[in-house]
This record gives sequence, C-alpha cells and structure tokens, in this order.
Amino acid sequence: MTAETARARWIQAASGLVLLSVWEGASRAGWVDPLFVPAPSAVAGALREVGGAALSGLGETLAKTAVAYALSVAVGVPLGIAIGSVRALRQVLSPFVTALYGMPKILILPWIVLLLGFGTAPAIVYGTIHGLFPILVLVAGGVRDVDEHLVKVARAYGASTWQLYWKVLLPAIVPTVVAGMRLGVVFCLLGVLVVEMFAGVRGMGHVLGSLANGFRAAELFAATALVSAASIAAVLGLDHLSERLSHWRG
Amino acid sequence: MRIWLARSAILIAALGLWEAVARGANPLLYVPPSAALPALGRLLTLQSYPDLLADMALTLREILTAYALALTAGLACGAALGLNRLVGRAYGPLLAALYAVPAVVWYPSLMLFFGLDAASKIAFGFLLGFFPIALAVLAGVRQVNPHVLAVARAFGARPAFVFTRVMVPSMLFTLVGGLRTGLALAVIGVIVGEILGSKAGMGALINHAYGLFRTADYVALVLVTLVLIVGSDALAVLVERRARRWTE
Repeated sequence: MTAETARARWIQAASGLVLLSVWEGASRAGWVDPLFVPAPSAVAGALREVGGAALSGLGETLAKTAVAYALSVAVGVPLGIAIGSVRALRQVLSPFVTALYGMPKILILPWIVLLLGFGTAPAIVYGTIHGLFPILVLVAGGVRDVDEHLVKVARAYGASTWQLYWKVLLPAIVPTVVAGMRLGVVFCLLGVLVVEMFAGVRGMGHVLGSLANGFRAAELFAATALVSAASIAAVLGLDHLSERLSHWRG
Repeated sequence: MRIWLARSAILIAALGLWEAVARGANPLLYVPPSAALPALGRLLTLQSYPDLLADMALTLREILTAYALALTAGLACGAALGLNRLVGRAYGPLLAALYAVPAVVWYPSLMLFFGLDAASKIAFGFLLGFFPIALAVLAGVRQVNPHVLAVARAFGARPAFVFTRVMVPSMLFTLVGGLRTGLALAVIGVIVGEILGSKAGMGALINHAYGLFRTADYVALVLVTLVLIVGSDALAVLVERRARRWTE
C-alpha cells in the first residue's frame, strides 16, 4: 500500500513537471501566443511583480470571506438543527429550503448590488447567502438522520430536552457540521469573489477581473494560482480539523 | 393537508409582506409583485426586449454545448481514473483538490482566452459541470462489486463489454446523481459567465436591465431565467427517475 502511495506521489510529481516543461517549451517555441498563454517562467516572474497587490487583495477577500463564513455558520447551524429536529418545521419548510438552496444566487446579485452599492457590504451579504444554504441543508439532514435509538434511550432515562440536544444530538452531528463547514467555506469564498468581479472596486476578484481586462495574462495566471493555493489550503486545514474532531468523538 | 395550508400561508404572507414593503419604497430598488407581473407580461409579449427569444436560444445553446462537453470529458476522465488503480490514486486527489477551488477564479482567464462571446461561457459551464460528473464516475466505478467483474472477465468478456454491461448498470445510481449535479452546475456556469460579462444571452439582458435601473424588467427576466433553470432540472430529474427504476 505504501509502495503504491509512493508510486502515486511519483506520478503526480512527474506529470506536474512534464506539464510545466511542455507548457514552457510550447510557449518558447511560439506554438501558443504568449499574449494568452504565457510560459510558466513568465508567470513566476509576474508573481513577484503582482505579488504585493495580489496579496493585499487576497487579504481583503479572505477577511470578507471570514465574516461571511462566521455569519453563515452562526445562522446556518442553529437553523439546520431547528429544521432537522422539529418535525413540523421540517415538513412545512423543506420545499422553501430546497428551492432557495437550488436557486442560482447569481440572479439576485444585481439586486443586492443595487441595494447595497459597491463595497464590502454586498460581498459579505452575498457570501453569507452562498454559504448559508449548504450548511443549513447538510446540518438539517444530519440531525434528521441521528440514530433514533439514541434519542429513545436518552428519553427513557429521563433526559430533559436541553440534555437531549446538548448531550445526544450535538455530539452525534459533529461530523455533519464539520462537513457542512468545509463545504460552506468554499461557497463563501466563491460568493465574495463573484461580487468583487461583478461590482468590486477592491479585493482579489477585482484584481483578477482588471488583470483580465488589461490582457496581462502572466500576472492573471500568477494571481489565479495564488487564490487557488489559498483555497486549497483552507479546505485541507478544515479536513485536518475534521479528522481531529472525529478522533475526539471516538 | 395542514402542511399544505401552512406552506401556502407562508408563501402568501411573504408575497404580501414584499408587496407592502415595496409599495412605499423607491421603485428603482424594490419591485412589488403587483409591478412584477405587468413587467413579465411586457417581457413575454416581446415589448420590453424584442430579441428575447434569440437571447434565450443562445443561452440554451451554450448550456447544451457546455453540458455535452462536460459529459464526454467527465465520463472519459472518471472511467480512466476509476479503471486503473494507480492512475486513480495519482490523479484522483488532484481532481478533488481542484474541485475545492472556487471555480470562478478561472473565469477571468477563460474570458481572456476565449473572449466575450459564447466560447468563454461554454468553457466555464464545461468546467463547472465536468468535476461532479468525473467524480461521480470515479466513485461509481469503485462501488462495483469486484466479484461480479472477476466473473465477467473469467467468462471472457472484453473490457468494453465489461464497462457497458456490468459496470454502468451497477453504478448507475451514483452516476445519474452526478450527471444531474453536472447539468445544474453547467447551467449555473453559463449564467454566471453571462452576468459577469457578455454581449448576448439571458445574462446580458439581466445586466442591461440592471444597468439602466429597469428593475421591474430585471425581475421579469430573472423569473423567465428561473423557469429555464427549473425546467432543465425537471428534465434531469425525469431521466434520473427512469434510470433508477431501470436498475431496480
């Protein structure tokens, strides 16, 4: 198994190198127009040039994402628990939740921008709307699927409603909550970036958009790589956290 | 029955509240249902946007092209990664990592590369639709009972036969879920692309109405686009149900 993992790693590294060298070669030989596909070496050079602006834009974007994320977890998890555990709420609200979850949020983005203008507020609101529903839906599903025996036994031993939620339900749904939070962070970041591209004056989305409009492909690729790395790091961090939490749960 | 009553009560209350709030407010920002309906009528009778049908057809064409490409590439990639263990272990995690990047970061590059016309929307719809399809095929291939495969191979079945007659039926359940998600995301990709920058299509009309503060027309366009999206998903659900019934 470990030998196979090592071989898989080797294949990953080798194909990365092959891709980069073919790309570099194609660009140097003039097979592709460097205006649209700059060589990796040019992208690396551009990273140094655009790095400062991109990093400050990324910082701003991540700060908005963090606020949106905190809001969507703070609203989504309790709402999800309520809708998942109270049968009447679930039966009445589920079509609305499904409809709102499934609706492409981009359609209301112009209206949000009309209401809130160009700035931080629309990015946070839109990011929250984006992250809220996946978290809510996953948590509600997790609560609904909690083993009924656990609840019955706790009831039989005279647990109060408070104890039922705090001692039985919450520990049982930790993996679902973490899964929802992992999904939510990508959606929040996505929402914030979309707003910045659509109507931003600052932030990473705006940086990417203006680099594209200026036909600065090397800088654009460098900045894109930077955001991608940041979001992969965030997701891997949350994965690590969820592994830790599942150990803690036993 | 009581559930339906409660649901309709909530819906009516929400619409009533919206009407009450929006009536007194700035009509450039808030559109009450009573103003949205006439705007919808004007839109559907082609008064506000005479080219509506052409734009709608363009958006549908972009969606279909993007989905067809995502379907082909997703099935091929997923099968290649699923059928070969080592290749799957090497490239599967890379695919999953790329899926974790909010796809919209690629859109400026696609726009630079493919321009403002349909090609960049198709490319973005393809990119969004590709991942769930490829990952569903990958997950599906791993679900197939290895004993069944071994028996099929022992009886001399060729790889193509094994794939179409043994693997596809037993992974269909997972597969159709991925195909449906792929369609939904391809639709979203095309529409997001159109709204972020385009010259034609439903997204371009929405942007036009929004830019000119024709907010009632904007609401009507959003409603029409929603019908388009819900319709495509309903079609996918129909296919999904049939496929699932077939496997049972």
